[in-house]
Amino acid sequence: MSAPAKPARPRLDLLDPREAAQIAGLELLTEGVVEGFLAGLHRSPRRGFSVEFAEHRMYQPGDELRYVDWKLLGRKDRLYVKQYEEETNLRAMLVTDISRSMAWSGNPELVLSKLAYVQRLTAALALLLLRQRDATGLIAFDEAVRAVVPARARTSHWYQLLGVLGGLTPGLGTAAEPALRRVVDLLRRRGLVVFISDLLLDRDLALRALKFLRHRGHQVLVLHVMDPAELELGGPAEARFEDPETRAGVTLRPKDWAEAYRQTVQSVVSAWRRACRTSGIQYHHVTTDTPFGHALRRVVARPAGLA
Amino acid sequence: MIGFLSPWVLAGLPLAALPLVLHLIQRRDPPTIEFPAVRYLVQVTQEHQRRLRLRHWLLLLVRTIIIVALIVAAAGPSAPLRKAASHAPSALVLVLDDSPSSGVVVSGTPLINELRAAAARILGQATPSDALWLLTSDGVARRGSPEALARAVDSVQPTARRMDLGQALTLAGEVLRSDARPGGIVLLSDLQATALAPARVAVPLMVAHPSEPAPPNQGIISVEPGPQPWTPDGGTVTVRVAGDSTSPAPVSVSLADRPARQALVPSGGAGSFSMGPAVPGWWTLNAAKAPDELRADDDRSVLVRVAPVAQVSWNPAERYIDAAMEVLLASGRIRRGTEITLGTLGAGPSIVPPPEDPAALGALNRALERRGIGWRFGAPVATPAVSDSGALIGRVAITRRYALEPARASAAAGVVATAGGAPWVVRDGSVVLVGSRLDPAWTALPVGAGFMPFMDALVNRLARGQVATLQGAPGEAVLLPDLVTEVAQGERRWRVEGGAAFRPPQTGGYYLLAGRDTIGALAVSLDPRESLLAPAPESAVTGLWTGARLVSLADAAGAAFAGSGRASLQGPLLWLALALGLVEVGLASGIRRSS
Repeated sequence: MSAPAKPARPRLDLLDPREAAQIAGLELLTEGVVEGFLAGLHRSPRRGFSVEFAEHRMYQPGDELRYVDWKLLGRKDRLYVKQYEEETNLRAMLVTDISRSMAWSGNPELVLSKLAYVQRLTAALALLLLRQRDATGLIAFDEAVRAVVPARARTSHWYQLLGVLGGLTPGLGTAAEPALRRVVDLLRRRGLVVFISDLLLDRDLALRALKFLRHRGHQVLVLHVMDPAELELGGPAEARFEDPETRAGVTLRPKDWAEAYRQTVQSVVSAWRRACRTSGIQYHHVTTDTPFGHALRRVVARPAGLA
Repeated sequence: MIGFLSPWVLAGLPLAALPLVLHLIQRRDPPTIEFPAVRYLVQVTQEHQRRLRLRHWLLLLVRTIIIVALIVAAAGPSAPLRKAASHAPSALVLVLDDSPSSGVVVSGTPLINELRAAAARILGQATPSDALWLLTSDGVARRGSPEALARAVDSVQPTARRMDLGQALTLAGEVLRSDARPGGIVLLSDLQATALAPARVAVPLMVAHPSEPAPPNQGIISVEPGPQPWTPDGGTVTVRVAGDSTSPAPVSVSLADRPARQALVPSGGAGSFSMGPAVPGWWTLNAAKAPDELRADDDRSVLVRVAPVAQVSWNPAERYIDAAMEVLLASGRIRRGTEITLGTLGAGPSIVPPPEDPAALGALNRALERRGIGWRFGAPVATPAVSDSGALIGRVAITRRYALEPARASAAAGVVATAGGAPWVVRDGSVVLVGSRLDPAWTALPVGAGFMPFMDALVNRLARGQVATLQGAPGEAVLLPDLVTEVAQGERRWRVEGGAAFRPPQTGGYYLLAGRDTIGALAVSLDPRESLLAPAPESAVTGLWTGARLVSLADAAGAAFAGSGRASLQGPLLWLALALGLVEVGLASGIRRSS
């Protein structure tokens, strides 16, 4: 007879972001997300890195069979899987957009704003990287660079990052190019650049800067964060839609333009994806109702991107 | 010209603005929504906005036209058929203006010739299946075949009758109502402004008029011989000239074949002519001016009675009678004598008001009966009344009177004036009875301006058996005095009934006969309005006769039957609305698809 199962702790990485944010603060939530994420990952997120064996653990359904220690099975007649601990000298820089458009939520009661979502996701990503002993830094920008935290590999560095992230307030406009150029100064060696933004910016300038980073040998990953309400156009019969950053507006009937808008958003996402792929840049489209674990999984599911 | 069966429905036309109003209302103050991805919207709308805006406006226009088309269709529009070469069986009333002004000579040709030619051309377009009428100034609508009416048109000449175009068109419209075929009226006229009058025209009306302007004209519009009878010493006549010309007109006035008196009379003014002595009798007084393009109004005649002034005896105690007689005596209109007795019943001609003492009334009635007079004084009447307006006296208040009753049933004739419908002044034989005493307590006449002319007419004409000298126009009704039994002009005689209306057929002098006695005369002259040839402006014509179509005489034939046949526009309009509805559906769905 097996012992009675303990009540399962909620997997914060799989919960709805809004719900997860209500359960815990930024720090606990981030730790919970990362713990849950790592527990469910069942394998090293850094396959391909130089790794060393760390320990065995009991096989769980879903584990890949290639990590099963067949020798141990022969000796103990039990299934164990081998776990590895990675060694790396990766330096990662998280470039986060905190412009006014990021503070928007289509439904504040049900969905986190893009900024709140990005704060938590960035913290989780930083913790994930730091646990891999990767030096991790942060640049926050709106129309200018607002915060810069150089990359460090100490575990306590995460709390510094957490403090900066928690204190971020939305700015006005969006100017990604200075922030990305700042990365060049901060990452002397080749490293990882994670660019997290709603991409409501000058696409050509941003792409040029991202390509430049790629040209410098950095691995570049773009997280395109969108609110679900930005995917579909809705609202009253006729309304004036106003950009919170530029105050530019357009008056139209959402019903007349919904389909065209949806196609335009799709084409924009496709254009970003195509442009990034052409330049060797990883691109992921994430909506703010996506559980943090799923978002993290997308980032780490392409190890080649982090290799 | 488009006509409507139910024009009141057109009051709903403002509803056509409904799409625009709804559009504006919906556009007003749309809510502002903060939306970061506005750049995507801008990108979307930039691609389609211009085309969509055009389509939106087209949609608005189409919806507006649909509403207009439906409302206009509901009003029952119809339009004249343009094809004149062959036309459906139609009913057509040809109104030919043969009034005196149609005799004006324009560019060497009488206007009536052009009117007749235009009428003949129209009749040449008619077919035997058409119902045709010819209406002229005599007011008789003659129906006939195209050939018969063409012969009738050939014989039309300017008449002396004025044509009231409003009455003629109303009559033509009533004639058309008797025929089920689609009909119309064609008016051929010089369109004198003075001849225009409102008309109830519910059928298509085409007005054909001369294209050349009317020539300037002057005419004698009145000849006033003054109080009659004239004394053998002569009298004064006033001649008035009017017309489009401003220069004075040389006018000559002659009494029968006496030498004429000549003078210049200003246009729009009057000239006085003193005529010399004449022997008693009826005389024709003629005024003439130099001829111009319209000859019909260049001379005018009236009849004048010349007679010695009456010799009157009266009771000086009758205050108001005495005062009036003294004035007439001083002005030479009467002399003192015994020819006529005023105030009491004398041996000869007498003018008898009721006696002051009611007790004397019985004796007076008996004396009248002895004289064989067919009237007597009856019961007193205290009900206030007003005298009926007539040739002798205007409307005068009458407070008290005696009823004048016929002594015999056969003697009811001879009423000269009435009060409240009852006889008030009557004449039988040589006696004139007046129902009220000539005193302000009985009637307001003695203190009114008409008292002196009344007394003059009473003693100089009525007591002598001459009832009235009347004036009239050809074709116009003239109310004859009660005693008249016959009207004579030369050898022509018209048997009439006293008190009835008589319509003199032409200009000239008519004598009013009572048996063998001539009791008055009727001078018939052209209506003075005929002298004013200025045509009415088109705006006045179309304003007065809604829907009238004006064409020149030359174009009348081609347009006559095109105007009488009308096609309903309801069907085309409903088809248009349906087609536009389909366009609207296409546009609306296209907008959704493209957006």
